[in-house]
Amino acid sequence: MNNIVVGLGEVKISNNPNDILVAYGLGSCLGIAMYDPVTHVAGMVHAVLPSCDDTTEINEACSKYVCCGLEVLLQKMLHAGALRTRIVIRMAGGANMLASTTFSDVMNIGFRNIESSRRKLSEMKFKIAGEEVGGNIGRTVRFYVADGRMAIRMMGGKERDV
Amino acid sequence: MKDPYTHEQFSEKLRPLLEVMAGEGIQNAVKGLSQMTGQQITVTEPEVTLVPLVNIPDLLGGPENEAVGVYLRAEGEMSGQIMLVFPYERALKLVDLLIDEPEGTTQHLGAYERSALAEVGNLTGSFFLNSVATMLGLEARPTPPAVMVDMVAAILDVIIATAAGVSEHVLMLSATFMQGDREAEASFWVIPDPRVLEAFLEGKN
Repeated sequence: MNNIVVGLGEVKISNNPNDILVAYGLGSCLGIAMYDPVTHVAGMVHAVLPSCDDTTEINEACSKYVCCGLEVLLQKMLHAGALRTRIVIRMAGGANMLASTTFSDVMNIGFRNIESSRRKLSEMKFKIAGEEVGGNIGRTVRFYVADGRMAIRMMGGKERDV
Repeated sequence: MKDPYTHEQFSEKLRPLLEVMAGEGIQNAVKGLSQMTGQQITVTEPEVTLVPLVNIPDLLGGPENEAVGVYLRAEGEMSGQIMLVFPYERALKLVDLLIDEPEGTTQHLGAYERSALAEVGNLTGSFFLNSVATMLGLEARPTPPAVMVDMVAAILDVIIATAAGVSEHVLMLSATFMQGDREAEASFWVIPDPRVLEAFLEGKN
């Protein structure tokens, strides 16, 4: 198997069944994945912040934002041969790393990332097939191109499916 | 919003100022830490670097490494973030030192152990801020610290998420604490808010 690292603000696509798209140690960041089960085109965005303003041009430079990242991811999926109506969504991350401290209310970017993602996906008419979001724990997210399975691992824990 | 610091501004104007400031601030922080632990703790010469945000998760040996982060914010005229990061095993040893037990006694980080580590963040952060605030004649107040035990990348997401909206880089003052000839492997990071750096540049032009 071949790990393809999806770094901060990146969008990666693959249709090679030997590939795994990986985002390591997500805290407040979100790993949002799309999959076409027929063509086996898989993609993931590693989004950092909730939303850009409405004037932001959609290109890869803005994919650190959830809203823009999802648009870029969709474009790349379609370009690689995915069919929009078959796309399945899974996501993980969006933790509040500073939970139960004096910072939690003002700095809960994880929560805002999740909200922004749900809103944008709803606008795009996508349903979320599986998610593991929120809490106050970091997660490594793996997305298997062969079957569209998303698995997470937390510190000291074993990998399990979303 | 325009990226508030370009490489040119950074290398010509900010770096020398910040190196002096960081040097004195970190020396003061380490003095506080030595008093707290009753041990002679020293610190490496602080480095001032402009770090691309995308490189941050890989800075401390790998994004999935288990670590402890003690985080606080500076509020007031000189606002910014302060983060102390320890590899997990090193944090256990530091707790042994703080509670005056033989090395190897602490096996996990419960509420008591976490509060001891929070105190280290509190103290080094306050000593650092006091020193720098006095030097610059600016006001700065530390918030209470938060302790995170998790993967390095998840801990550092706190800094990344705060900075990513305004810049592709963070300006980082970092140093490593030493105890005797043993490297304590604690990284002390200070990340001034971009608006503070702008004020700095305007004031010192």
